[in-house]
Amino acid sequence: MPFRNTTRSWGSLSKAFHWLIVLLIINQWWIAERAEELKGLAKLEALGLHKSFGMTILVLAVLRLLWRLMNPTPELTTETKPWERVLAKISHVLLYALIFAMPLTGWMMSSAKNYPVSWFKLFQFPDLVAPAEHTFDQMQDLHHLLFKVLVGVALLHVAGALKHHFIDRNDVLKRMLPFGGIK
Amino acid sequence: MTNYRIAWITIAALFAASCSAAETPAPAPVPKSAAAKPAAPPAAASAQAATALPHYVQVASGSNLTFTFVQEGAANQGSFRQFATELRYDEKAPSSGSLNVKVQMASAETQDKDRNELITGSDFFDAAKFPVAQYVASSFAKRADGGLEAVGKLTIRNITHDLRLPLTLKPTAKGFELSGKTAIKRLDYGVGQGEWKATDSVSDEVKIEFTVSLARSGS
Repeated sequence: MPFRNTTRSWGSLSKAFHWLIVLLIINQWWIAERAEELKGLAKLEALGLHKSFGMTILVLAVLRLLWRLMNPTPELTTETKPWERVLAKISHVLLYALIFAMPLTGWMMSSAKNYPVSWFKLFQFPDLVAPAEHTFDQMQDLHHLLFKVLVGVALLHVAGALKHHFIDRNDVLKRMLPFGGIK
Repeated sequence: MTNYRIAWITIAALFAASCSAAETPAPAPVPKSAAAKPAAPPAAASAQAATALPHYVQVASGSNLTFTFVQEGAANQGSFRQFATELRYDEKAPSSGSLNVKVQMASAETQDKDRNELITGSDFFDAAKFPVAQYVASSFAKRADGGLEAVGKLTIRNITHDLRLPLTLKPTAKGFELSGKTAIKRLDYGVGQGEWKATDSVSDEVKIEFTVSLARSGS
């Protein structure tokens, strides 16, 4: 499997970004759900992890976007209908926007509540906004809303991939699978 | 077509959301000086020997007292809104100076209501039972670098330990600006009970920094 993308297939680095971020997002959801039920020290620790993984996603999102712009993007098959192309484009742009927006709103929540963000206790990130309760409330609402949008768009994305695979019977899904690919 | 509509609605929502995020103004930080008020009128001089020295008390504005601890790898800062400082000091006889600081523990402010409640509660300061923390120094010493150091005792939660406090005194029109910083171990004073005795998430070391505006007092 080549490292770089071609116009027909995703390279190994693009696949690594895709699947690593998928796993990290699922992990984020799981930690956040668990943290809701925790109290005291255990909650602090869970949120510390959630924030560290979130910053990891943000850094990966930056690298992933740069890599995407530095590489060819595999094209959709010629049979793909215009409405499918538009929908694919919109959902991809949204997913990219969300892997930035989720960590950034979370980071702003932390700054607004005066709980600065570290990366696995190794170093500390600067604060994005001044501490203020109303800013925290706004960012929290936004973080939760964006998560719902993320779930919706991700489901659309999965549905699209499955349609390509099972109905259109093309390589669009297969070419993003971790160890698969097209000959 | 419904797919289009859903997609456009999500875009619009995301756009609106990101705009509101971008426009959220960073509120102007409340000047710490305005927030810090002397908690109580200064008490009578604590050291008899010092009574003859010029007496300075904390004025209403221009003072702050902060504490910084590491939580989950990030430095978190809070401050005390109410504390009172009095200094007896004469440059000609610095070693006979004295310093008394009383801190109202319930005035701890960390910019988060839940955390304020937690740290003023029984697991940390227990401000209901121990409302005041106090630093009392009845002599000053010269530091190796030539600066001044208060030789005193700090009491939090009725637990007292010796603490040498490096001081900087800057003359002002009214008196002095007293500043300094030190670090203490919170667990030495019982600040952190039960699960909070663990130091993996919340550091034992707490840095303390202060700047106090002092004015010459008649007494």
